[in-house]
Amino acid sequence: MSPAFALRLAARDGRSGELRLLLAAIVVAVASVTAVALFADRLQQALLSESATFLGADRIIGSSRPVPDAFREAAAARGLSQTDTIAFPSMLFASDAAGAANQLVGVKAVGPGYPLRGVLRVAEEPFTAGRVVRDVPGRGEAWLDSRLFPALNLRLGDTVAIGRARLAISAVLVSEPDRGGSVFDFAPRVLMRVEDVPATGAVQPGSRVSYRLLLAGEAAQLDGLRNEIEPLLVPNYRWRGIQEANRSIGDALERAESFLLLGSLLAVILAGVAVALSAHRYARRHYDHVGVMKTLGATPAEVLWTYLAALAAVGAVGVAAGLALGGVVHFGIVASLGAYLPITLPAPGWQPVGLGAATGFICLMAFALPPLAALRDVSPMRVLRRDFQASAKSQAATYGSAAAGALGLVIWYSDGVWLTLWTLAGSLGVAAAFALMGLGLLRGGHVAGMQAGSAWRLALGALRRRHWESVAQITIFGLAIMLLLVLLLIRTALLDQWRAQLPEDAPNHFVMNVADDEVAAVQALLTEHTDYSGRLFPMIRGRVTAVNDVPADEWERERAMPGMDDDRLRSERNLTWSDALPGNNTLVESQWWPADTAERLISLEDEYARSYGLSVGDELAFDIGGLAVHARVANLREVEWDSLQPNFFIIFSRAALADFRTTHMTSFHLEPGAKRFLNRLLSEHPTITVIEIDAIVRQVRSIVARVTQAIELVLALVLGAGALVLVASIQASHDARMREHALVRTLGGTMRLIAGALASEFAALGAFAGLVAAVGAEVTTFILQEQVFHLGYQPNPWLWLVGPALGAVFVTFVGGLGARRLVRSPPVLVLRESR
Amino acid sequence: MTDVPGKSCILRATRLCKSVPTAEGELVILDGVDFEAAAGESVAVMGASGSGKTTLLGILAGLDLPTDGSVWLDGDEISALSEEARARVRGRCVGFVFQSFQLIESLSALENVMLPAELRGEGGAKADARTFLDRVGLGHRLTHYPRQLSGGEQQRVAIARAFASRPKVLFADEPTGNLDTGTGKRVVELLFDLNRDSNATLVLVTHDAALAERCNRAIALDGGRRVA
Repeated sequence: MSPAFALRLAARDGRSGELRLLLAAIVVAVASVTAVALFADRLQQALLSESATFLGADRIIGSSRPVPDAFREAAAARGLSQTDTIAFPSMLFASDAAGAANQLVGVKAVGPGYPLRGVLRVAEEPFTAGRVVRDVPGRGEAWLDSRLFPALNLRLGDTVAIGRARLAISAVLVSEPDRGGSVFDFAPRVLMRVEDVPATGAVQPGSRVSYRLLLAGEAAQLDGLRNEIEPLLVPNYRWRGIQEANRSIGDALERAESFLLLGSLLAVILAGVAVALSAHRYARRHYDHVGVMKTLGATPAEVLWTYLAALAAVGAVGVAAGLALGGVVHFGIVASLGAYLPITLPAPGWQPVGLGAATGFICLMAFALPPLAALRDVSPMRVLRRDFQASAKSQAATYGSAAAGALGLVIWYSDGVWLTLWTLAGSLGVAAAFALMGLGLLRGGHVAGMQAGSAWRLALGALRRRHWESVAQITIFGLAIMLLLVLLLIRTALLDQWRAQLPEDAPNHFVMNVADDEVAAVQALLTEHTDYSGRLFPMIRGRVTAVNDVPADEWERERAMPGMDDDRLRSERNLTWSDALPGNNTLVESQWWPADTAERLISLEDEYARSYGLSVGDELAFDIGGLAVHARVANLREVEWDSLQPNFFIIFSRAALADFRTTHMTSFHLEPGAKRFLNRLLSEHPTITVIEIDAIVRQVRSIVARVTQAIELVLALVLGAGALVLVASIQASHDARMREHALVRTLGGTMRLIAGALASEFAALGAFAGLVAAVGAEVTTFILQEQVFHLGYQPNPWLWLVGPALGAVFVTFVGGLGARRLVRSPPVLVLRESR
Repeated sequence: MTDVPGKSCILRATRLCKSVPTAEGELVILDGVDFEAAAGESVAVMGASGSGKTTLLGILAGLDLPTDGSVWLDGDEISALSEEARARVRGRCVGFVFQSFQLIESLSALENVMLPAELRGEGGAKADARTFLDRVGLGHRLTHYPRQLSGGEQQRVAIARAFASRPKVLFADEPTGNLDTGTGKRVVELLFDLNRDSNATLVLVTHDAALAERCNRAIALDGGRRVA
């Protein structure tokens, strides 16, 4: 038999509508996967490039030493954009006259092209919103932070001195993109040109200088560069991307990525189930067909090739149509949401299209091939005796291969083994439990149905009669509904957590360097002009010198976890004392000390303590301003670092720091329109330092908003795939239902009775499925929230009502649409067609 | 009933046994049945429901294998062949007419008749199929699908398909079982006319004595044994 004949057979099947359902399932499968992949890919690209603005680049190479030219040459050879920054602390003098006002500033010298990602904002007046500029300061110019103007009584056009260099103030610097990485670099910022740095003479051997090479370009080129220079990076240079550069943004992105993956993963599973159901129905309707072909001389191998050719043809048409539809759907989404999407999406790549096509074919092979391949074993005796079917052995083998194929597909697609395994473990474990529960519900339902009206009796009787089929449907509907509920729950939990992390009134300004005698006045000003209700924390710099009499460097070598080389135990840190546990801290081990304790105690942040092998009871020695202080670890606590409140790794008891003069700090929230308050604060207290982080908070919030939108869109697409599974599943039992109801009508059943019985049957199926879905959703959500997203689990009592109600309404609606013809057709036609 | 002397034997079965395992133990369907048919001969297989006629037909046509005994069809011992090889023998020399017609629902009348030739990869299938549909009186319904045809018309398409493969042996399983008397008679006339013209051997399973009368000879089964 020639392939052309096999294709002709497939075409004839297609023409007669036999392949329509399978084709539709593949089209929708590929379309939903492609749409999800295309949109997720573009959004991810956009989010990444947006997030790159936090770095001012896609990647940076940072060091305390100058970046060697070899790195620049290697980057240039790969066509990457690059520019340099040099950051160092220095004194800024308001003029070069002796005794002129001065202030410690954080100088950032930048090269042309800075920043490679994100934008610079400058203004003509301090504390205003400013405008975006594409340039950097000119040679001999400097841009100054708003707070330097009132503090040093400066105006635009004035000249300031940094080291030996004199620079003209040409703009007020409102924000630079990569300030996020240096929030606690307290000094106000001065932006100048890299080329002017030698003239300052401020950068000498031994100076505290941070050199950065900013890089931007294709991910592949960046990865290539990293691989090429990796051996040269250690130990003096660090390669950083957005994930390493900013922990909270990195976490948010990682979770968003996990969620988008989970969404696509569910779309693939649902689509696969829809394909499998359609293929099963197609195969079952072809048992007789194959029997006849075999009696006419078709060999098993020819039967197999015939259906493989049909499958390939359907696959090609379905994948092509699915890709086109997926593209249209995705463009539709982008177009309809264009106004709401606050970012411009980059052009889609070919990768999602390839992914969609590959997914379509693999889906077809894993889910549709097994039932069709089983046709090979249909006995030709079936033409004489209808009870001859495909052997159970071959069916078991094909289902095994379907399961293995599906698993492979899911792992390949998700690229995240943990997420996949948890999702699959949840789904498979629950599927078995669902089947058992479904059986129990059917039995219970049948007993209840005996007492009910005739439509219900007919419905529950029908479900019970086809109990294996009904159990399978309850399991499949249950899984589909469960997946949707899980997605909804996880989405809600993620969003709640993000919103809670960054409330609208999150602090967006820090005040530091407040002297003892200024605390009351500053507190009064803040309380009067803002909604500030916090307190000022004493602050002093100090470092650990020994642990339990073991020198800190030795302790660190022996006990510290690997990868702690940047945040060293011996690094100088901000220290504070407190009588009470600060608000956004939670004790995880031991007790807080009494407010009036005379003991020298410290409280450590839990992760910090674990990183350096420190535990309750350890004695730590500190060097604070040249004086030695000893204190015992009294407790460990967790800190919400994202809360933007003043947070400390190490908190002392008041007695431990009683002999030291400290400055004070706090954080507060200021509305954008109230920024002029800073002028008053700084002119009344010129020695204090104010750090504005409102731009960073805004950026973080806008990323959260975008991620939220992405999640909602993915949820809508997965819902679509879920609906398809329900349609395919109802279609799969359509023939059997048609025959039964035609018989009932022949025996005098009215259309009303049939419609009622069908509606009751679908409602019962949906409600049973919804109930088991609620159980599964609780279990899977628990596992996902605890193990994957680390969000903490909360029970969801509403699930137990919403699950069954959702199931009943949805299945009745979709089933009712499919069964309209069944109710209206004359019984004789139904009987003849279903013969 | 007439014999056909002097013709060579095209189909022979010896000591055919068929049994299947059931929950109650082994169920014997055929028990040592011998059978033979000469080329061009027509043989009726008679018996009550459950006597083993359909099982015998399936084994003689190579659709199923006996538990014991052997079957020779057109020189091949088909009971010793694989399903693959038996399919080729069927394609080469066997035709079927079934009680339930067994037309493929998704194919038109013409495409159903073209199927055997297409499966063998022969050219001219369409013209051939047209000729046979003309001969059974359905030249005007070529593009109709089975569900658009009456039972009698469907059986005539099945007969056209059976003869379009130019079989050496034609197996017919209760070909009038699903038809009314008048239609059944016309279908039987057609079957015997075409069989005579093609000189094929006809093995006809029926419990209709009048139909069996029209064959050269008849055998009878009872409880899986040959009783006549």
